Amino acid sequence: MPAEGARRQRLLRLAAGALFLATAAVVVLVVVNSSGSAGGDAQHITGAREINRELKGIPQYGLILGDEEAPVELIEYGDLQCPVCKGYAEEILPPIIQTAVRSGKVKISFRNFTIIGPESGPAGTAALAAGYESLGWNYLEIFYRNQGEENSGYADEDFLAAVAKAAGVKDMAKWKESLKTLAFEPEVTTEQAKKLGFTGTPSFAITGPGTDGVEKLGTPGSTGAFEEAIANAE
Amino acid sequence: MKTTSFPSEWTLQRAIAFVAALGIGVATYIAIADSGGGSPVCIAGSHGCATVAKSSYSHLAGVNIAVFGIAGYALLLACAFFASDAARLGGFVLALGGFGYSVFLTYLEIFKIEAICQWCVASAILMTILFLLNATRLIAYAGAEGETDAAHAS
Repeated sequence: MPAEGARRQRLLRLAAGALFLATAAVVVLVVVNSSGSAGGDAQHITGAREINRELKGIPQYGLILGDEEAPVELIEYGDLQCPVCKGYAEEILPPIIQTAVRSGKVKISFRNFTIIGPESGPAGTAALAAGYESLGWNYLEIFYRNQGEENSGYADEDFLAAVAKAAGVKDMAKWKESLKTLAFEPEVTTEQAKKLGFTGTPSFAITGPGTDGVEKLGTPGSTGAFEEAIANAE
Repeated sequence: MKTTSFPSEWTLQRAIAFVAALGIGVATYIAIADSGGGSPVCIAGSHGCATVAKSSYSHLAGVNIAVFGIAGYALLLACAFFASDAARLGGFVLALGGFGYSVFLTYLEIFKIEAICQWCVASAILMTILFLLNATRLIAYAGAEGETDAAHAS
């Protein structure tokens, strides 16, 4: 049946074309993702809606996320320019935030440990300023999502302001004013971290009914390690 | 154009429908778990599911990718109910797209997120099976008329 054979040939050619296109699409997706987004673009702040939705309903004050009365406090010393801190913010801490923090069992306190470069301080101050509107953690997470290359100059005033707007800061004039009054704060917490003996970011400590004061955790490598530390601190 | 070395088209259609229905179940569970603000529960206490579910790769344009998975599996199920060239080619292209995207998601889990979600792996396996079944169906029965009629298939 020549007509049937011709139709079959046409269909198989179409299928071969689709196979070629799909293979090309997967290769392009992998290459694009492996090279990674440059980030640090004030004109293209991404992920804000998703982050703001995930943090909605969790109490915040300053750079502390969670119920003020939570028995366990997890303390993170981080640098907004630090790519490893970004990894912790995006992959390891979210399950803790959505379970232990959301339930009121744990609060997480972010403290600036500005060791990467001159842009780290202003970035940390900008997050503290957003904390005045209880949006400090929204700021931190959106900054990490859009983080650029270390000390490349991306964390300028425009970028910091764009992140603040994306986080939902309403009074930008007050936020800008706070940048001046809070400028010294990152240095204070950086000194605290050094006194605790921390040398790199992120570094964690924990305190709770089960701990003997503030106990250093260092840099736990997984969500499970944090859960274990929290269980021990309860 | 019927080829004796392949299973009958009717058998392939039933297998595709069965696997697609399983896929709808898996994708629906992931979507429901996400819609409640949580994440799918991994067996043996693994945290991979929560890590993957909370990663930035779990949503496209604000929509959980499991929702796209449900739509894809549903269309594959629909293609299994018709014995026509359009259904054969449509099923192949859909399964190819799903398989390709599953390969990409598995790459993300291993190299970018560095966590494995067992439910995502289950979906990737189902999509791989669907790709193989639909490819077999197309190669064996492309251009064939009346191998199995719609009434029989349904």
